[in-house]
Amino acid sequence: MLYLLITFIVLLLIVTGQRGLSLLLGLGINIFAIIALLILIADGFNVVVTTAIISVIILVVAIYMNVENSVTANISFKTSLVITALILLITIPILYWSSTQGMGVEDQEELEGFSLSAGVSFPQLAIATIVVNSLGVISETCVAITSGLNEIVMNKPTLDQKTVFADGFSVGNKILATQTNTLLFNFFATTFPLFFLMNSLHYGWQEIVNDKLFGAEVITFVVCTIGVILTVPITAYQVSRIDRKKIIASTKEQ
Amino acid sequence: MKIIKKRWVQICLAIGLVLLATVATYFDSGLYQKPIVSIDRVAQQSKTKGTDQYKNTDYQVVQKIYGHFTNTAKKGDKVTITNSYAQSQLLDERYKPHQQILVSKTSPKVYTIQSTKRDAVLVFSIGLVIILLFCMKFTRGRLLSSVLINLVIFFGFVQALIKLRTGDLVLLTVITAILISVVALIVILGPTKDALMAFLSAFLATSIALLFSVWLLQLSGDSGIHFEMVDFGLQPYFGVFISQVIFSVLGVILDETMDISSSLIEMKQEVADISKKTLFKSGMAIGKELVGPLINILLFIVVAENLNVVMLYLMNGNSIGYTLDMTLSLGVTQLLISSIGIVLTVPITSFIISQMVRKKVS
Repeated sequence: MLYLLITFIVLLLIVTGQRGLSLLLGLGINIFAIIALLILIADGFNVVVTTAIISVIILVVAIYMNVENSVTANISFKTSLVITALILLITIPILYWSSTQGMGVEDQEELEGFSLSAGVSFPQLAIATIVVNSLGVISETCVAITSGLNEIVMNKPTLDQKTVFADGFSVGNKILATQTNTLLFNFFATTFPLFFLMNSLHYGWQEIVNDKLFGAEVITFVVCTIGVILTVPITAYQVSRIDRKKIIASTKEQ
Repeated sequence: MKIIKKRWVQICLAIGLVLLATVATYFDSGLYQKPIVSIDRVAQQSKTKGTDQYKNTDYQVVQKIYGHFTNTAKKGDKVTITNSYAQSQLLDERYKPHQQILVSKTSPKVYTIQSTKRDAVLVFSIGLVIILLFCMKFTRGRLLSSVLINLVIFFGFVQALIKLRTGDLVLLTVITAILISVVALIVILGPTKDALMAFLSAFLATSIALLFSVWLLQLSGDSGIHFEMVDFGLQPYFGVFISQVIFSVLGVILDETMDISSSLIEMKQEVADISKKTLFKSGMAIGKELVGPLINILLFIVVAENLNVVMLYLMNGNSIGYTLDMTLSLGVTQLLISSIGIVLTVPITSFIISQMVRKKVS
């Protein structure tokens, strides 16, 4: 693993040059934020509140350290905060209804010897799981759509608000397709061992569709996709409202 | 005016259909052979405080569930089931009124809960995506068909896997990965030369990153990586792990190659006499901006997947160091291999595109 780490750092520095250092710093801060999240939850802090606070820190790092244009960064940050809040609002009732927290009967072998009444609220942890899962996808989507739209506005500063808003969807189409793919392929990565196991346990379709782990993966995929979809109108609305001069000025700064 | 009206009709239709499908799956117990109980009300019987050997405080709660059967010959009959759960609900659950449960008879008149009926909530949440897509001006047809085609390919992959008993797992994964990336590229870029170039770049970058990483892992004798911690301890550990890496990095690398290649192709169209060297350099400059966010995407997905097991280790008196070593060493290895792939994609794509791109004759 050490060899892999060294290779990664060397390659990163060769390919991205000085930029690589700030990328590494950003990754390092995010990893620390996540470890802090784990420790705080284990110490008994409210899971949802802690996740919300840590998410804000992670989004600040993920957006402001990766984006140089200040207007793009500000809009992306605002949008990603709104989306994270919306994801929380959608996730809580869906998980309440689905009860897909914790682990499944399929995991039982792995859990031998553990004290299972650990005192952490796993229903709340399930909410945190979905929010953390979405953070990377959401921040990347916000940045991609904002910078795409800003470019359009810069090239044609005379466009009216309605056209800019509509252009958001043509920029959004491609991003939505690629992000859906990323989420879907990750769904494949986590579920194929599960399906294999279900087959050896002779599950029928009734057991599969009602299975806890399968349900949790489907809900994660679906909620993150909803987050990506909602990013498009919210970003487009903000870009269409903002003063055009600001966008042009911010690109000239660089 | 007519167009606006048509859109509203579409949206209302989508909402109606989704609600109908949700309600229909909620009441589909006739399709099940197992008895299903709909919960009318629950009453808490007792709540005992317990402390485990690691000084974690948890409550063991016993609840009485009053419900009625919704299928089989007993349809309509009242039933009472006792359920005991830990308040942390790792493996067991607190049941709520209006939930439905699949039960089985353990002895005359005694039923135990097998599973919660979750099909309706899944249908509802998938429906929510469809409604949102209909509310906005996306090109829904292409998106939905690509997801469907990919699901069909994945279904075929799982079927083949079951038939071949994971013997050829990695080979199957590679074939599946090629198929789904071809579908993704054709859906987004269309069946063009651009798609072919993007495919070549993604394929090369992923293969080089994987082969190189596997070689590095063997060089270090796989030390410090707990491959046996792969999901459900499925054999062969290493094959399962590599297959998961391939699936999880694929989407991100496709995203990256498409971004770089489309910018370079556009550049070539605007400035016809641009040199290969300048194109390569621009590709590297564009790629630099993409690396960070893409690694972030995978970082959070990997962490989120392991959150439950990490917390369980931590609460069982393990130090943070031991916990991370046991639970995240696989995830971190996966992340490192993926990151190497993401970084390598930048020069590989820039090189391939700068060599292959031609100005289109219009």
